[in-house]
Amino acid sequence: MLNEKDIISTLMMVREQNLDLRTVTVGINLTDCVSHDLETFKRKIYDKITRYAGQLVASCNRIERRYGIEVANKRISISPIGVVGAPFSSEQLVEVAITLDKAAHELGVDFIGGFSALVEKGMSKGDQALIDAIPQALTQTQRICSSVNVASTRAGINMDAILKMGQIIKQSAELTAADDGLAAAKLVVFANIPQDVPFMAGAYLGIGEADAVVSVGVSGPGVVKAALEKALAEDENMDLSRAADIIKQTAARLTRAGELVGREVAQLLNLPFGIVDLSLAPTPNRNDSVGEIFEAIGLPAFGAPGSTAFLSMLNDAVKKGGAFASSHVGGLSGAFIPVCEDLTIAESAANGTLSLEKLEAMTAVCSVGLDMVAIPGDTSAEMISAIIADEMAIGVINKKTTAARLIPAPGKKAGDIVRFGGLLGEGPVMAVNMGSHENRFVRLGGRIPAPIQSLVN
Amino acid sequence: MNKALISVLGNDQPGIMAAVATVITDHGGNIENLSQTLLQSVFGALLMVSMPEDSQCAELHEALKQVGQKLRLSIHVDPWDEQLTTWQENPPEVQPYILTVIGPDRRGLVAEVSTQLARHGVNITNIQAIFKGGKNPMDNLMVFEVDVPRATVMQDLRDALHEVGQRLDIEIDTQHRKIFESVSNISN
Repeated sequence: MLNEKDIISTLMMVREQNLDLRTVTVGINLTDCVSHDLETFKRKIYDKITRYAGQLVASCNRIERRYGIEVANKRISISPIGVVGAPFSSEQLVEVAITLDKAAHELGVDFIGGFSALVEKGMSKGDQALIDAIPQALTQTQRICSSVNVASTRAGINMDAILKMGQIIKQSAELTAADDGLAAAKLVVFANIPQDVPFMAGAYLGIGEADAVVSVGVSGPGVVKAALEKALAEDENMDLSRAADIIKQTAARLTRAGELVGREVAQLLNLPFGIVDLSLAPTPNRNDSVGEIFEAIGLPAFGAPGSTAFLSMLNDAVKKGGAFASSHVGGLSGAFIPVCEDLTIAESAANGTLSLEKLEAMTAVCSVGLDMVAIPGDTSAEMISAIIADEMAIGVINKKTTAARLIPAPGKKAGDIVRFGGLLGEGPVMAVNMGSHENRFVRLGGRIPAPIQSLVN
Repeated sequence: MNKALISVLGNDQPGIMAAVATVITDHGGNIENLSQTLLQSVFGALLMVSMPEDSQCAELHEALKQVGQKLRLSIHVDPWDEQLTTWQENPPEVQPYILTVIGPDRRGLVAEVSTQLARHGVNITNIQAIFKGGKNPMDNLMVFEVDVPRATVMQDLRDALHEVGQRLDIEIDTQHRKIFESVSNISN
């Protein structure tokens, strides 16, 4: 017999606190599809993806009904196209992206991630072609996401790649000017990218992964907020040790739900189960916001002094809870702080409580980085590269993942609103200090060497 | 060995179990299993008792009746032949589900829901009602723990329950038990 408290708390998590399976992501290795012939390659990847993920949506729907938990997104991650599509030109790789988009539509999946390159130390011919293809690929498709890893703690920071990515982001945004630069919202630049992220836009299937694998991304900032509010209502003198415990326990419960669903979907698809990525990933809805957790714990607003301290605690407690609940936690696991996808964070950015500089400081202790940040359309490519370089340095030195998903919204200036719709949400354009100035530093190029691993201070 | 099923019902107070069990022991009986519950202020217990071959249920019943009068309890003793029902004899393969009914109390709610469950071959293993009143839907909740045979088409069952829910203006959800267990029980 289940006890009343357990039944009610599980029901509340699902019904009122927006616990959802943000994504079930099937990773599919495409290395056995390689070919010098474009048509052969396109046919092979289309066939393999539709074969392995053919039942993905149906299986998720079945599990959804069985457990009464929504699987919000069904996604696919693939081997980095910069590697498996290495023989092709950038024009040909745009065709590959269109083929992938067709597969996504055919299967009814929301996104395919892995139009990606790993260039932290250097750029191969295939990587170069892929990066050049990104603006057109993301403009001509709807469901393709792209990521480029430009830095790692072991390799250092590839400044040539970062300089290039500034231009690519700018071009991507300009090609989709009518949609506020939407293509740039599907492109993310990484340091220390994990091989098994199920979340977009950074999902790809690493080279060290299985032929095909099912991973899940669980979210539920609303559940954490509700748990903290309840604890504070019961004991208004609750201290932060207790708050950390509550976050940990809540994270553990969320992870359990995720692992259960992930394993069942994997079983239905007859594929191995990979990892649970427990990330507090907001959606642009009330009660599903990471920013609201900051208000619940007593900060005047997201971005106010104290925010970095609380974010570090939140991120750490989420990881601890997740790691306790499942031995297969991976991906990004922690707290996301995307601006446009989170109502409260977007509000803070709009009313000036949160500046780009404070946000950057906070990314030193969150699980991703500068995420879904709209910046003025006249920000120069060089300045975009410089922002990326700063963000990558934070990740490289701190041995963590950082990322930059910046959208230079064409024709928009600081304070204007951009709207991307759906999960990508909407938010204000954030001011970039000296955004249109020249920046000779990033033009110097080369590599920033990998950091020393001793003398830690 | 004779077996008997004894049911005890009445307002709760200390000493009910002591009085009942003592009479059973004095008549040579042995309590093999028992379950006791409290429904608001009402005590209810079900006892499985084995009696010596030569003993009569009637005598035990008479003795317990006197206890019942003293403590204002309704006590019944029935001989039990342990004959299994068809469901028990040929237990089908089942999946455990939790059915939750959210919304204010409605006349006929239990009848309607359990009739649909029976019609679809579903066995109820436990029912809990949590009626605290007020407007919070979570304070007006009925929980049916059920075993659903493999032969039952879940969608048909859901459709039937959905129809009941619409008619009575309540929300009925059916979720596999595992989700409650995995979320609630961290050490499993």
